[in-house]
Amino acid sequence: MEAFRQEIILGTIALYMALCVLIGLWSMGRTRNPGDFFIAGRSLGPIVISLAVFASTLSGFGFVGGPGLVYSIGVSSFWMVVISATAFGLGFFLVAKRIRMVAELRGCMSIPDVIAARYGSELARLLVAVTIVLGVLGYLATQILAMSVVMQAIFADTEMFADISLLSCVVLSSTVLVFYCVTGGVIASVYTDVLQGLVMMVAGFLILITAMQAFDGGLREASEIVLADDSESMMPFGAAGIVTSLGWFFIFGIGLAGQPHIVTKMMMNKNLADNRSILPLSLLGYIVSALLWISIGMVMRAVVVGGGAEPLSQPDDAASTFLAMFASPLLAGVVFAALFSAIMSTSDAFLNIGTAAIIHDIPRALRNRPVNNELFWARVVTVVLAVVAAGFALFSYYRDATLVALLGAFGWSTFAASLFPVLAIGLNWKRATTAGAVAAVTSALLINFVVQLAGVPLPWGISGGLAAFVTSLVLFFAVSFATPPPTLARDIDRMMEI
Amino acid sequence: MDRLLVCVIFAVVLAMAAVLLLIGLIEAPPNAAGVAHDTVAAMQAGGDGALRLEAIGGFAFAFQSLVLLFAILLCVLSVKPTRRTPAFIGWMVFTYAVNMLVWQQMYFGHQTFLETGETGWFLGFPTATAWQVYGVWFAGVVLIAVYSAGFRRYILSGDDERCFEELLRESGELRD
Repeated sequence: MEAFRQEIILGTIALYMALCVLIGLWSMGRTRNPGDFFIAGRSLGPIVISLAVFASTLSGFGFVGGPGLVYSIGVSSFWMVVISATAFGLGFFLVAKRIRMVAELRGCMSIPDVIAARYGSELARLLVAVTIVLGVLGYLATQILAMSVVMQAIFADTEMFADISLLSCVVLSSTVLVFYCVTGGVIASVYTDVLQGLVMMVAGFLILITAMQAFDGGLREASEIVLADDSESMMPFGAAGIVTSLGWFFIFGIGLAGQPHIVTKMMMNKNLADNRSILPLSLLGYIVSALLWISIGMVMRAVVVGGGAEPLSQPDDAASTFLAMFASPLLAGVVFAALFSAIMSTSDAFLNIGTAAIIHDIPRALRNRPVNNELFWARVVTVVLAVVAAGFALFSYYRDATLVALLGAFGWSTFAASLFPVLAIGLNWKRATTAGAVAAVTSALLINFVVQLAGVPLPWGISGGLAAFVTSLVLFFAVSFATPPPTLARDIDRMMEI
Repeated sequence: MDRLLVCVIFAVVLAMAAVLLLIGLIEAPPNAAGVAHDTVAAMQAGGDGALRLEAIGGFAFAFQSLVLLFAILLCVLSVKPTRRTPAFIGWMVFTYAVNMLVWQQMYFGHQTFLETGETGWFLGFPTATAWQVYGVWFAGVVLIAVYSAGFRRYILSGDDERCFEELLRESGELRD
């Protein structure tokens, strides 16, 4: 079996890709209008939504960057994972019920739609839509680049495709993603999320078992080796320190409720009452999958500092080196399929919300009317968005990494800082005003952008995202209190009473 | 009732901002956010943990306590005022207490390790880290249990569903 390692890995990935294409074809017949394309006609059951929510949450970063972070800074990065229960809980308390109600009440198809309905403001809609487009470009570019680099590395170990170019890998991986997103819209996206979520859970569980067997003394022996080498990196705040760790708790824990690719899924369930089971199921899936993040990173740090392997040239090699050292070809194939699953499940969500922002929200905000034939243009823009993001990814890789790094700044923390107050608090507080919302979104964008552009170093490992998030919260409340109380639309006012 | 609650939440946000500002104003030691590992490239070490915590440990503890309070208060805000029964408030207080217990066990367990260099172990991790890995997860699960088990009592009752259906019908008639 070991002699056919690369063939088995490639075969597993090819099987996974073929299933995604089939789901795209199957979904095509079920996508008849923009409502189907963007929010699946609010017709999905609790298991599908649960898997879609957690699969969208755990991106390729969790499978490559996560273990790499544990390798490089120890336990600090655990904070991004262990916060998940509180994050999902808070997100459902604040958003799940009301966003679903607004979606049905006003026929909303996107987060900017919900914002426009809540605040009665096209300016708020425009700001949120622009934020989403910028974030989507950054996220998509990094995800496509990650997917292509991994694919190239896998091909490089085969005889037949050893010299395959990165461009070919970008085209190959993006084609599958774009195919099912274009044909089936969000219906294909969520049903591929089901497949992807299941693959990720299986991989997370199997990797934990494998990691526990990497040392005779199990996980404790790995921890003891890391502790003996540098005790702080094995303590709760890791090598990055307490402020960085708590900043991640804040951004990833509180900020989940402001992530558009996740909360959009909360608009798609058939029954409002399904939320009671969607929440625990989503969390279960996330925890099982995220075991991979912690276990691979821990074992690889212990193996390297314990002298069992050469130091990695870069932390992001932790997962692939672990698989080469400890995993059977079949398990490696499943994990690589899970990695593609993680990347594609997040990417398809971003393609969908980015397309909605461009086709549906920006025209409405600027012209007060939608484009004609939204479904056709949605398909066209999905392709264009993916091509532009792939172009950014290639430009970043070959010429200048600054562009994607800049767009990357509009990632999780910017969404958290700009959308959490406006959406998660705004849906629960009638006194929140448009001026407060505009101040929150604008300050979050500016602080993140300036800190990233100017490379401003903040002391104690305080991140620009944390500073932006706290500032936007202060401004949201302060400006709302300082401006006259809003007059809500009657239906929104009544909905917020429920 | 909501006005008072939101005022308290705003006060907590201002307190978080003030604590973060104070931390930022204190001079940071060279290893505040880690140092390069002695022998392994592309790896960071934490170095002197006691030195890192000496100046800002108290502020960091306060910041996290405020963040946990902020999260719980937001959950309370999301529930209809008439459903914020003593039982619900009790559950929220319990959730905050569990979160604070986990946080203080983790924080002070780490401090004890820094002072003594000794640690117990629990399921593969040093005790303080085990509080982080298992405790933070568990504390969040309490919140989820309140949401799921108390869904019909606190989040969406049968009456709420009927009110919403009526609202949908009226809105539809208005549009027609």
